[in-house]
Amino acid sequence: MKLLVAVKRVVDYNVNVRSKSDGTGPDIANAKMSMNPFDEVAIEEAVRLKEAGKATEIVAVSMGLKACEETIRTAMAMGADRGILVETDAQLQPLAVAKVLKALVAKEQPQAVLLGKQAIDDDCNQTGQMLAALLGWAQGTFLSKLEVGDGKAIVIREVDGGLETDEIKLPAVLTVDLRLNEPRFVKLPNIMKAKKKPLEVIKPADLGVDVDPRLAYSNFRDPPKRQAGIKVKTVAELVEKLKNEAKVI
Amino acid sequence: MSTASATALLDGIRAFLTPAQLRTDPDSRLLYGRDWTHQHTPAPLAVALPTTVAQVQRLVQYANDQRLALVPSGGRTGLSGAAVAAQGELVVSFERMNRILDFDPIDRSVTCEPGVITETLQHYAREQGLFYPIDFAARGSSHIGGNIATNAGGIKVIRYGLTRDWVSGLKVVTGKGELLDLNKGLIKNASGYDLRHLFIGSEGTLGLIVEATLRLTSPPGPSSVMVLGVPELDGVMAIFDAFRNRLTLTAFEFFSAKALRHVLNKGLQRPFETATPYYVLVEIEHTSAATVDTALAVFEQCSEQGWLADGVISQSETQAQELWALRENITESIAQYQPYKNDIAVRISRVPAFLRAIDALLAREYPDFEVIWFGHIGDGNLHISVLKPAALDQAGFLARCRQVNEQLFSTIRQYGGSISAEHGVGLIKQPYLHYSRDEAEIAYLRAIKAVFDPNGILNPGKIFA
Ligand SMILES: Cc1cc2nc3c(=O)[nH]c(=O)nc-3n(C[C@H](O)[C@H](O)[C@H](O)COP(=O)(O)OP(=O)(O)OC[C@H]3O[C@@H](n4cnc5c(N)ncnc54)[C@H](O)[C@@H]3O)c2cc1C
Repeated sequence: MKLLVAVKRVVDYNVNVRSKSDGTGPDIANAKMSMNPFDEVAIEEAVRLKEAGKATEIVAVSMGLKACEETIRTAMAMGADRGILVETDAQLQPLAVAKVLKALVAKEQPQAVLLGKQAIDDDCNQTGQMLAALLGWAQGTFLSKLEVGDGKAIVIREVDGGLETDEIKLPAVLTVDLRLNEPRFVKLPNIMKAKKKPLEVIKPADLGVDVDPRLAYSNFRDPPKRQAGIKVKTVAELVEKLKNEAKVI
Repeated sequence: MSTASATALLDGIRAFLTPAQLRTDPDSRLLYGRDWTHQHTPAPLAVALPTTVAQVQRLVQYANDQRLALVPSGGRTGLSGAAVAAQGELVVSFERMNRILDFDPIDRSVTCEPGVITETLQHYAREQGLFYPIDFAARGSSHIGGNIATNAGGIKVIRYGLTRDWVSGLKVVTGKGELLDLNKGLIKNASGYDLRHLFIGSEGTLGLIVEATLRLTSPPGPSSVMVLGVPELDGVMAIFDAFRNRLTLTAFEFFSAKALRHVLNKGLQRPFETATPYYVLVEIEHTSAATVDTALAVFEQCSEQGWLADGVISQSETQAQELWALRENITESIAQYQPYKNDIAVRISRVPAFLRAIDALLAREYPDFEVIWFGHIGDGNLHISVLKPAALDQAGFLARCRQVNEQLFSTIRQYGGSISAEHGVGLIKQPYLHYSRDEAEIAYLRAIKAVFDPNGILNPGKIFA
């Protein structure tokens, strides 16, 4: 079984992002960039499937600037066999990404596409679902467990208030949650091996995909600053404030 | 010391502290009567929580009048028993003197009270777009005052030095009660003896630190963390040298497989499957786009020499933190075994021979005990923790450890090292001071103590008896 795994380069989870003073976007110049943590889980799962003899080849895909090659190299150091960078400096929105992935599915013919359930920068949580719709494939989203069988997969999904177990047909789009696995650390010798793995760079136009943004963002603002706490003198005062100011009781 | 009754002493203190500033309940006395070491039974008279310099001066004056011993107390994370009050002393906790008083962007310095928590200062510096580099696992509890009183080192010493290097001004109340304003934030000041440095690392025996001005620096650029598997002890410093020669190191830490086992038991992920008896953690600053490639090249070179068996490198800040946890969580992961700790240092050049010597010594002397090694080896600093076997009682265990100490410290003397690298002398290492300091030197230490604290009211029994 061949797997396509999407990996996005995002601002590192630990970076405290502020918006630019002119409100045109987040200020991420010089910010530390890393692989989207959900995508790390997706790659890890793919590598485990390969180690278990269930997958035969893993192709890691990223889209965006040249620097996304680093993210692909990380995926290959974790165990992906080869990489594809769809290079563009366009602002990529979920629909465009889903269209590019659809074109890559046509080119690569994988039996499953694995993605993070969302990216931690725009938090859209749309790409996987859009891709499944475009392909007309089954989808298993928010996975915390994945078992691949013959022509089908048993998935456990994290849903409101519990877990849902589904059986879905392959090929399928699978989006993963953090509880699915704990991604491995990257070994230095594997980084060296990853340098020798093939990384193909193409443009959206090569795939015949128009990636122009469909949505325009009008303004970015920091969330309001948290007010400092206050001290109350009596329980009665606390109850009064909870009732009338906080309006929680 | 004092002949007055406890009640009379407390009544005297109540004249200038509010009821909330003087705690006499058993829980508080137990809590504030000791540091991270648990070898002594806390028995302080009470706990004073001053909020102003004037109150601190009143306390010192009162202590002189009554010959009442004072134990300065910070975050109580000390590892030498220097903040232990086991003899009816009055604990002076700086917990309520915890304000940041001033920040000067031109001087790039911050002035604060001693009870500010180390991590609070680190965050404050970050908010100003700057960096306070003294850092170690106790950051969330230890105080700036305690850090200065112990001249704390930590995990970034290799790049940024010790607490001493960041203190540009210090206000102290001496054992005589005067307030000294030392060095006043200056970078250069060649006007006579620099008394500031006497108080730094004095473990509360010369004066009470009531205010400090600390230098800040530019935040470091991005970095990567590696954890590497080392098959032989001899490889550790060879690896250090190889990396140091080609990269900017911000940390070079060492730990043994036995240490790793304890943190893994607490649920952390193994860095890699290859098992080696030793590990090093290397943090490198990205000074150019080629930094990671250089690190790979050095890794290959070290592997070819057989110094390294395997290794991983962080791909994100989260992974860097996870790798650091393998090293930083060791102290906490072994705390349940009431370890006996030694914190020793030799010059870097002597580390390999020294490690061989003490490896043989510990194997010979503690065949039946579990000995955990870790430390800031890039500074020539090693922590040795001997775990107490459950079957042995505390007294018997300590007696064994003290016996071995004599041999360990003789070896340290032979190598020109120190019996305390950064944890201080306190009560616990006090009997061994003469292994690192000669008689003439100790006589001067005592003479200096007598100048600032003639009545011996400040932390008596610490450093020397
Ligand atoms: C998990 C862990 C990791 C650690 N790692 C390191 C490390 O890497 N490097 C390192 O150097 N240390 C380390 N330590 C030891 C300890 O954290 C440091 O010695 C720290 O500087 C102590 O600060 P504190 O505020 O807790 O001081 P305390 O333990 O409260 O007191 C330490 C000494 O300072 C004196 N003192 C406190 N405040 C004042 C004051 N205002 N004026 C005068 N004297 C005062 C006390 O009397 C005592 O002598 C570690 C401890 C733990 C528990």
